[in-house]
Amino acid sequence: MAVCIAVIAKENCPLYIRSVPTQGELKFHYTVHTSLDVVEEKISGVGKALADQRELYLGLLYPTEDYKVYGYVTNSKVKFVIVVDSSNTSLRDNEIRSMFRKLHNSFTDVMCNPFYNPGDPIQSKAFDSIVSTMMVQAC
Amino acid sequence: MAQCVQSVQEFIQDSFVPMVAVLCSEDAERVTRKNNLSFPELLRPFCRLTSEGHLRDPNNQVVVVKGLRISVTGINTRPPQSPELHRLLSQAVSVCQPPEGSPANVITAGDYDLNISATTPWFETYRENFLQSMPASEHEFLNHYLACMLVVSSREAVPTEQFLKLSQEQHRIQHSGEYTHPKWFIPNTLKYYVLLHDISEGDEQRADSVYEDMKQRYGTQGCYLLKINSRSGSTGADEQMPDPWSQYLHKTSIHNPELYEEYAVSNAVENNIGAEEDGLDPSIRDGVSETPPLQLDHPTDAGYPGNDASQSVNNVDETRPQKQASGTSHTSPTPRGTCLTLNDHDHIRQFIQEFTFRGFLPHIEKNIRQLNDQLVSRKGLSRSLFSATKKLFGGGKVPEKSIAELKNTAGLLYPSEAPELQIRKMADLCFLVQHYELAYNCYHTAKKDFLSDQAMLYAAGALEMAAVAAFLQSGAPRPYPAHYMDTAIQTYRDVCKNMLLAERCCLLSAEILKSQVKFSDAATLLIKMTSEDSDLRSALLLEQAAHCFINMRSPMVRKFAFHMILAGHRFSKAGQKRHALRCYSQALQVYKGKGWTLAEDHINFTIGRQSFTLRQPENAVAAFRHILINDSKQSAGQQAAFLREYLYVYKSMSQLSGDGSLPQLPLPCLHSSQTRVFFGHERRLAEGEKQAATHVSLEQEFDRDLSQLWRELEERVVSVANRGTVPITFQPSQCCLNSQTDNLRYPLAVVEEPIIVEVVFRNPLKVPLALSALSLLWKFTLKGFSDPQGGATGETVSNEKEVRLLIVSRLFVPEARLKLLPHKTGELHVLGVVYNLGTGEVGNSEGDLVCVRGQQNLEIQGPRLNMTKEEKTSVGYGPDRRLDPIITPPMPLLELFTLQEIN
Repeated sequence: MAVCIAVIAKENCPLYIRSVPTQGELKFHYTVHTSLDVVEEKISGVGKALADQRELYLGLLYPTEDYKVYGYVTNSKVKFVIVVDSSNTSLRDNEIRSMFRKLHNSFTDVMCNPFYNPGDPIQSKAFDSIVSTMMVQAC
Repeated sequence: MAQCVQSVQEFIQDSFVPMVAVLCSEDAERVTRKNNLSFPELLRPFCRLTSEGHLRDPNNQVVVVKGLRISVTGINTRPPQSPELHRLLSQAVSVCQPPEGSPANVITAGDYDLNISATTPWFETYRENFLQSMPASEHEFLNHYLACMLVVSSREAVPTEQFLKLSQEQHRIQHSGEYTHPKWFIPNTLKYYVLLHDISEGDEQRADSVYEDMKQRYGTQGCYLLKINSRSGSTGADEQMPDPWSQYLHKTSIHNPELYEEYAVSNAVENNIGAEEDGLDPSIRDGVSETPPLQLDHPTDAGYPGNDASQSVNNVDETRPQKQASGTSHTSPTPRGTCLTLNDHDHIRQFIQEFTFRGFLPHIEKNIRQLNDQLVSRKGLSRSLFSATKKLFGGGKVPEKSIAELKNTAGLLYPSEAPELQIRKMADLCFLVQHYELAYNCYHTAKKDFLSDQAMLYAAGALEMAAVAAFLQSGAPRPYPAHYMDTAIQTYRDVCKNMLLAERCCLLSAEILKSQVKFSDAATLLIKMTSEDSDLRSALLLEQAAHCFINMRSPMVRKFAFHMILAGHRFSKAGQKRHALRCYSQALQVYKGKGWTLAEDHINFTIGRQSFTLRQPENAVAAFRHILINDSKQSAGQQAAFLREYLYVYKSMSQLSGDGSLPQLPLPCLHSSQTRVFFGHERRLAEGEKQAATHVSLEQEFDRDLSQLWRELEERVVSVANRGTVPITFQPSQCCLNSQTDNLRYPLAVVEEPIIVEVVFRNPLKVPLALSALSLLWKFTLKGFSDPQGGATGETVSNEKEVRLLIVSRLFVPEARLKLLPHKTGELHVLGVVYNLGTGEVGNSEGDLVCVRGQQNLEIQGPRLNMTKEEKTSVGYGPDRRLDPIITPPMPLLELFTLQEIN
């Protein structure tokens, strides 16, 4: 399960970041922010023509000593980043993929809300609860 | 990695230079001391050869040696030991700061415009110092002495005897086994006999005859007569002479005591402000702060042999420059080379040239041949090493040993004359005279030998140099073997536990990779090399890695920023405040204004702290301000900590700056537009059965309908008083002004009647704030109406009410009512509020240590103008004169009360 989930707008400002409260929040912010470089590298690596039908899921962005960072970019260049504990080896690529898909669906719901102003931080309760199901339960 | 001044080739060649030792007689030393220089120091600026040299390799091919530099040092010079080395490096880095106002280098990456210094001179200084102070090791010969100059003065009674003595001395040092330190390349070291002649006081004919005698004895190629000191010191003082020594000597401790002291001070200050760990251990730090800068000039070249006679010489020499140093002030360094004319400079240059081309290079050539012959006979290989190596490597590739295998043993030391080492020796000699092709072949062969013997240290050394030699080969017959370097670094670090060598290897490899535009590899290498044992090194390498990221074809801005922060952190742990501050400031450019508030707060907080310890309180306050004004998402505890720190810094700044206008406080937020102003005495609306006939009071909310009603009533009264007409200048009287009333006109207030201003605060933080001694700030211009108010005695306006204490927490939004009492007529302008700000923690409020005085301006924007077309298309605001009443002379006041019953 994830230790940090982040949604970053097209302009690279954070829309939503949530991390497990047991560990340093600042550290996750730095990790997510730095991972944007890899996201950008991966997007620009794909040719212009292929950009339309490219896979939204970017896979493992980079591993650090303690964490693995996965990325996902929607067609409107909104980035999702999920940070997972490295020690958690049971997690398969497919599961990460489905987590992203769930996140994306929920994000779409948020976007459909007529009272949501695109670019504002996400404060939706529904979105929050979806994220909570994907986070590591702090015990 | 940042750009460097030197090219890669120059840098590597300068990192490995042939070493020449100097043994000086007492008298000769005295001759050079006239110039405040020791003999090796005297030669140093002239040690780079401007012309090409030639020598023949074992296959009789001519090798051209270009731009060779030799390193001449006193025989007893020891590379600084670990703590001292650490101190020297750290000092070198701290003195080397980016020049103020250097041309800004703007890099545009995506939507970021970054202002970054393209060069990092402090890193180059560090690298140069580091490489120069590498201790001589057993497993390589590159920095072992190849030759020894024996220097004797012509004034000596019997110079030849002196030469004999020095020669024996050198022999004793090299062969007796008593001395571990100076390491020698080959058993029969080249001895070069130098007769030093002081023109100003010596007998020239005698010197010439002695030289003739020397030529007979040592051969023309083994001796030299060097004539210096053409003039006596005093006469030359006023003449402008180039000082070629300044850039070579004491670079690290250049006369910049201010920076230096600041460095020491900042270390001391840091202990006061916070619990941040300092990477230096206390003894080192003490050493740094106590040593006066000039004393460090000395240890560069004090060493001469350790026998009794010269020991005493040594002592004399050592005390003398120290006396001079303490005698002169910091700003005027002791002049060097005062007895030397430009002719003398030429003499020295010629001498070095002669020594290198006639004595030194032939000596190396001879030794390469000898070693080659030995190797050929030992291996029983066909004719020459060349064909043998070609046979070996021309065909199939030799399989690399796996790393796992390398890890087994680190031990195994060869005796110094072991046959395995001879090939390495030959490789090193070839490398030093720039014959890189042969050097590469030898290193490669040596590497295989060492690996099969499991001599890991030796193998790593050979790998490292093989890679460097392969890179330096002109025409690049083979690609640069980066994996050699990686294996070497890994072996040095993990198997041999020798961080110094690993670091050297890393610096070389990173520089080479950088020149080949492999920034990503270079960055990985540099980051791998950071470790817990040296903060300074880690900081510098991280910074270089950050520069690698920004220089990539598609710049990685965020990685750059992140590594800059890591570098800044390590710099601050290493006590390099200025560098830390610079790193954080550069990183902030990336994080600023993008919504990454936690990271931004962290950077701002660190910048604030560093600026404070560097005594830049304005920057510190500005940085802390940033953390507090934005709606911070930090936890309450964190906010309380920020606030305390801010108050502390603020307090100490205001103590430093003394009096003057009070600075602006960022907290709490002031809702200027919600300010209400009430003119006249505050009165109760209902008292007993009496009811005041008014709808205005501060207790009531503004009611538009009600006020319209009263307005009409007033109009009617006026029209009755004016016999049925309302004068054109009529304005309804307003005695309470707020955001909804018409504030275009200057309100009228009456002298000796109070003016009540109500200000509304909002606290953006999660922790309560305590405001005390709150009062208004105003400006008053006297203006006599019909009668001037007599003398200007007494104050014009008095602050009636000071609010003692006000706790502003997030939920509770208090307003403060402040009263002014004008005593004279004129124009009053209420500018803002003054107050003491402290933390509102319970039990802490009485302590005045965390409480600062400051002001906040009340600036009220009027309503948006929306009348004409121009105003509609642009954004403009009208004036709001709520706070600028005109004080009029006393006038009658009519108050009306109604009794309850009537109602």
